[in-house]
Amino acid sequence: MLQSLLCAALLAAPLAPQAGPILPDSVQAAAPVPRARWYQPRHVLVQTGGGVGMVAAGVGYAFLRDRLDADVLVGYVPRKHAGTTLTIATLKLLYSPWTLPLTSRLTVKPLSVGVYGSYTHGLRNPGKPGQYPDDYYWFSNIMRVGPLLGSRLSYALPATATGRRRNLSGYYELGTNDLYLLSYVQNRQALGPHDILTLTLGLKLDL
Amino acid sequence: MSPFLRNLFTRAVLPLAAGSWLSACEMIEFSPNDHRAPSHQRDLTAKNLARLAASPLPAQDTLRFVFTGDSQRFYDDVEDLVKSVNQQPDVQFMVVAGDISDFGLGREMRWVDDQLRHLRIPYLTVIGNHDLVANGGEAYERIFGPRNYSFTYGDTKFIMTDTNGREYNFNGRIPDMDWVSAQLRDPAARRHVVLSHVPPLDGDFDPTLREAYAQALREDPRLVFEMNGHRHSHSVSQPFNDGVTYINSYAFERRRYLVVTVWGDKEFRLKHVDF
Repeated sequence: MLQSLLCAALLAAPLAPQAGPILPDSVQAAAPVPRARWYQPRHVLVQTGGGVGMVAAGVGYAFLRDRLDADVLVGYVPRKHAGTTLTIATLKLLYSPWTLPLTSRLTVKPLSVGVYGSYTHGLRNPGKPGQYPDDYYWFSNIMRVGPLLGSRLSYALPATATGRRRNLSGYYELGTNDLYLLSYVQNRQALGPHDILTLTLGLKLDL
Repeated sequence: MSPFLRNLFTRAVLPLAAGSWLSACEMIEFSPNDHRAPSHQRDLTAKNLARLAASPLPAQDTLRFVFTGDSQRFYDDVEDLVKSVNQQPDVQFMVVAGDISDFGLGREMRWVDDQLRHLRIPYLTVIGNHDLVANGGEAYERIFGPRNYSFTYGDTKFIMTDTNGREYNFNGRIPDMDWVSAQLRDPAARRHVVLSHVPPLDGDFDPTLREAYAQALREDPRLVFEMNGHRHSHSVSQPFNDGVTYINSYAFERRRYLVVTVWGDKEFRLKHVDF
C-alpha cells in the first residue's frame, strides 16, 4: 500500500507544478549571486526504486554548467520486502547534455545518461570470512553497478533571497545492474530488455 | 522549442514518465534482493502440489517423473527443455534439484518460472546453495515455498530438504536431521525418496551431519534412493557402500535430463533424454 501510494505520488509529481499559480518573475538584475562553496551540496533528492531503496534520499553536486550531477544517496528497504532490513548507499553520476525550455518556468532535460554504484548493508547471508573457499562465488552480493538512462522535468521556483535560481525537478531513470545485464547478454533468446529493467522515480530540489 | 522536440516530448517523454500505473510500479525494484512478486509467482510449491493432487496416481501405478537440476544462469536452455519434457508421454511431474537462481535473486527465480510454467506438468523444486546467497533464502520462500517439505504421490513420499550447510556457515543444523528423521519414520507411504541439492559427500555438506544423514537413510527400509543436484553432471552410485543409491541430476546446461520410472517396492529405471 505504502509503495503504491509512493509510486503514485512520484508519478504525479512532475505534473503538479503546472497546476500551481504562476508567480511573477522576480529577477533582480544587480545583486551578484554568491558562489556556493565546493563542499556545499547543490541539491537534495528523494527517490524510489532503481534497486537502491524503497525510499532513498541524498544530496548532490552539479558540474559542467549543470550538465553533470553527482549524487550520494542512502536508501531503505523494509524487511517485509527483502527478508531483512536493507540500507543501501549509492553514488550516481548523470550527464544531461541538453536543457530545453518548455514554458517560462518549465524546462526539460530530455536525456540523462549515467552510471551508479551501490553498497548494500544488512543482507542475511553476505558471506563471512572463511565461509567459502576462495573464488567460490565470483560475484559480490553487496556491490552493484549499472547504467542509467532518464529524463528530468524542472520547474523554476522563485529565486532565493541571494538571487540564486532554483528548480524543483521530477525525474525518472531506467536502469539495470551488472548481474541482470550479464544474465541478459548470455541469454538473449530467453530474456528481453523488459526483464532486466528497473525504474526510478524521484524529486530533486536545488538549494 | 521546435515542433520536433515538442512532439518528442509529448509523444515519447511524457508517456514514459507517466507510464502506466501498474507496469511502472512493477519495475520499481527496491533492491535486487527485493523479493516481491506478482501473485501468480508466489507460493509456487503449494500451487504445483495442488496441480499434482488434481491428477492423483492410483496405488500400485507406476511413478514416472522428470529429474533435472541447476537451472541457474542457463535461461536460453529452459525453453528447449520445456519443449522436450512436454513431449514425454506419461510423466507426472518434474523436479528441479536446486540452484534455480545463480545469484539468489527473486527476479532470477521468476525468469525460470516464466518458462517452466509452460510445462504441461507441474514442477517442484528444492532449495540450492545459490538460492541462499544474500537474501535468496527469503526470496525462495516467497516465490516457491518452504526449504523443507514433503509430499506423497501415489505410493511414494518425496522428502525435500535443504542440505546447503555451507550457506549457513556449517551451523550444525542443516540438514535439519530432526525433521528428516521424523519424515522418514512416517509409515504411511510404501516408498520414500529423499531429494536435496548438495550430496552428502560434497564439501558443501555440513561434515558434522554427514554420517547422521547417511545413517538415517540407510536405516529407512522404505527408501528407494536419494537424489541431488549441485555437481551439474549425472551419476548413480552407492558412495557409503551401504546399499543406498544416490542419483545426481544433469544441470540445464548439459541439455540432458532423466526420466525416472519407479515401480514395485524399490524398482527403478533411468532414461537419459537429450534436448
